[in-house]
Amino acid sequence: MIRQVSVFIQNDSGRLARVLRALKEANINIRSLTISETADYGIMRLILQDTDAGLKALKEAGVMANETNVIAVEMPDKPGGLSQLTDLLAQADIGIEYAYSFLPQNTSNAIIIFKVSEADEPKISALTKEHPGLQVLESDTLLMK
Amino acid sequence: MQRYWNESYECMPAEQLKELQLKNLIDTVERVYERVPFYRKKFQEMGIAPVDIQSLEDIQKLPFTTKTDLRDNYPYGLLAEPLKNITRVHASSGTTGKPVVDGYTRKDLNMWSECVARGLVCADADSKSVIQNAYGYGLFTGGLGIHGGAEKLGASIIPISGGNTAKQLMMMQDFGSTHLTCTPSYAQYLGESLREAGIDPAELPLRAGIHGAEAWSENMRKDIEEKLGIECFDIYGLSEICGPGVAVECHEHNGLHVWEDNFYPEIIDPDTGEVLPDGEWGELVITTITKEGMPLIRYRTRDITRILSDPCPCGRTHRRIDRFQGRTDDMLIIRGVNVFPSQIEEALLNAGEVEPNYMIIVDREGLLDTIEIQVELNQSLNLNTVAELEAIEKKIKQHISSIIGIKAHIVLVEPKSLPRSEGKAVRVIDNRKI
Repeated sequence: MIRQVSVFIQNDSGRLARVLRALKEANINIRSLTISETADYGIMRLILQDTDAGLKALKEAGVMANETNVIAVEMPDKPGGLSQLTDLLAQADIGIEYAYSFLPQNTSNAIIIFKVSEADEPKISALTKEHPGLQVLESDTLLMK
Repeated sequence: MQRYWNESYECMPAEQLKELQLKNLIDTVERVYERVPFYRKKFQEMGIAPVDIQSLEDIQKLPFTTKTDLRDNYPYGLLAEPLKNITRVHASSGTTGKPVVDGYTRKDLNMWSECVARGLVCADADSKSVIQNAYGYGLFTGGLGIHGGAEKLGASIIPISGGNTAKQLMMMQDFGSTHLTCTPSYAQYLGESLREAGIDPAELPLRAGIHGAEAWSENMRKDIEEKLGIECFDIYGLSEICGPGVAVECHEHNGLHVWEDNFYPEIIDPDTGEVLPDGEWGELVITTITKEGMPLIRYRTRDITRILSDPCPCGRTHRRIDRFQGRTDDMLIIRGVNVFPSQIEEALLNAGEVEPNYMIIVDREGLLDTIEIQVELNQSLNLNTVAELEAIEKKIKQHISSIIGIKAHIVLVEPKSLPRSEGKAVRVIDNRKI
């Protein structure tokens, strides 16, 4: 499982800057970032190079942040790569709550991050056993990529 | 532990108390008739003379006094004593026009201190207590009012005044404060600050808080009690009459005892002026019956409450006023519905997951009033999808709609992002141009 940091940000100028400043000052690299927004606020999802130090820096800055477990899968960066994965998930009846891509620095493969419900998490391990080609990454491996 | 400050007065049998009230009322009416032209003229216009007051019910023959009357007679027009007999002058903040001025004789200050001392004993204070007084000192009656009562009681008072939160926390830790006196919103802020500073309230000698000067809900009380590890007591006063001390809660926390030997309370229908029986909600009207400097006859407080007259298990015989629903002038009329900010606060806290820090913004789009409520999320909430946030918004919206019948726009904001107050909290912004 990958540790993702979720941050609540209200829709006001300077709010995002405040969060990013806290991470900059603690010298934390952001490996992926996505924001889902409504008219009044957004939730920013981050994969940080150092999750513990990042969470600590955010909390000290008074930012509302918490941790969520997500899944990372590596796949060839070519047409149909992601489709293969979503087919497998659909067959295993695993729902995706949200997904976004990771920014690898050391591979030409693509990496996708997705969140499944807690109930579906065991199904993922079963799926990797059945399909050895499915490359689910653990934290250490992911952050090397 | 001391149960009462002045048992013979606080527990005076009801009949004897009524006799005392009548005597004091007649004295007051004679005093203002003889000494204050404003009252004499008003009484004469209504064809009333002091001799017409023969029973407590006769008070209903007397005219009301309003805040406007006080402003019209600014600054000293309602004084019943020459300035040489006035020991201290207080004044309201005057945010809407000229301030309202009140002058106290030495005897008035003594009476006020007596009322505050009774209230402090209600909260278990005695001569060994250390009272951290975080009400503002100055023209505002809170600081000096509590100060006088604490000195009369013989407690040790720390006159720190409002603000300077870091120093407040330091004193709580170092000075052995057993009692905190301040506005409820500041108590809440101190509670949050204590938590942030990582101080465990259980380690502090602080055990009670006495809070007033603004309306607060039961949920807010629970929040302060939990954050500061204390028992909270509501205290009531108003700058026109005397600051804190007009009424105060006992351990029963079932209404505030009005010190009826000094203040005669009535509840009226704010629209018709008709006096309502005990138990019915309406506007609180107070007549001061022992004040010398600036006695007030049937002063309309604008505060909405009711009188509780059933015997209180604490033994005090003075009738109680219930916790305030709000003020007639805080009341918002939104799409024709009367809404008190306190009702919104209650709804927010019942919905859970949010902090009791909120801002109500009323506006008008075309012909329709709109209400937006900004509320802070609870810091410890574990959120990660917009759907979860939307569910919270929906729940709050339903709670509010069930209480005030209006669909509000709920805006969730980050913890600690709304402005904090060191005095009275500003909870409403009304942008309507009517």
